Amino acid sequence: MSANRQFYAGAARTSDRPTGFTNPWFQFVLNIVGVVIYELLLKAGASASADPSNSWSWFGINALASPLTWLAIAVVVVDLIIWLYILRYIPLSIAFPLSRAVDVLVPISCWLILKEAISPLRWCGIALVIIGLVIVAKPAAELEQRL
Amino acid sequence: MTKWALFFILLWLATFVTGQLLFKRAMELSRKLGFRNRQTISILGVGILVMTTSFCLNLGLLQRFDLSYLYPFQGSSIIIITLLAALILKESLTARLIAGTLLITAGVVLVSMS
Repeated sequence: MSANRQFYAGAARTSDRPTGFTNPWFQFVLNIVGVVIYELLLKAGASASADPSNSWSWFGINALASPLTWLAIAVVVVDLIIWLYILRYIPLSIAFPLSRAVDVLVPISCWLILKEAISPLRWCGIALVIIGLVIVAKPAAELEQRL
Repeated sequence: MTKWALFFILLWLATFVTGQLLFKRAMELSRKLGFRNRQTISILGVGILVMTTSFCLNLGLLQRFDLSYLYPFQGSSIIIITLLAALILKESLTARLIAGTLLITAGVVLVSMS
């Protein structure tokens, strides 16, 4: 019992968990979509205002000159609120690895939308991430069943 | 990759990992003590500050590297966050969860190397 309680530390019981639109797993999907959108907007905004000769540009300040960056920031704020909501109900050790579906979606989105190249080795890495996600998804499903 | 690039990528990672752990701790406290509790607000505030720093560093890095090249470096934070969640937040791990996390990390490293 104590071991189970320790494993599920940070998780809310299913009976205490909101349903429908406010269900944390539904919000989880929204969060991932949000991350993909703001990463693409950030890259587009940062590239549009890039000035590598300026050493202060390491801190990204000049990227604020692009409206795309501000749009990205708005999505980031909404996504942060969603992420905080998710963390109220799901353990970080499960939520964070699963959130790395973004590591598959972002390179594929870059390939599709920004026309960035993806090498065969990178495709292999993407495949490994997908297998890892499937394996991590099992403890998440067990968590749902036991709570 | 230059020494400065490595430095800023590592700094970005460190602030990102710290911010995530602070967020989770703050949300745990919010469930026990409520959002108006001083401790909850403090930890959440520090978390937002750290994540804002991480965000600015991310912007700076995005101006120098392709997103598909840079972004997977953040993937190395997966194993760090999972281990620190067990150590600091007392979330226990199963062998399956560790194996899955390691595979995701390996995949992300492979992506970043290519």
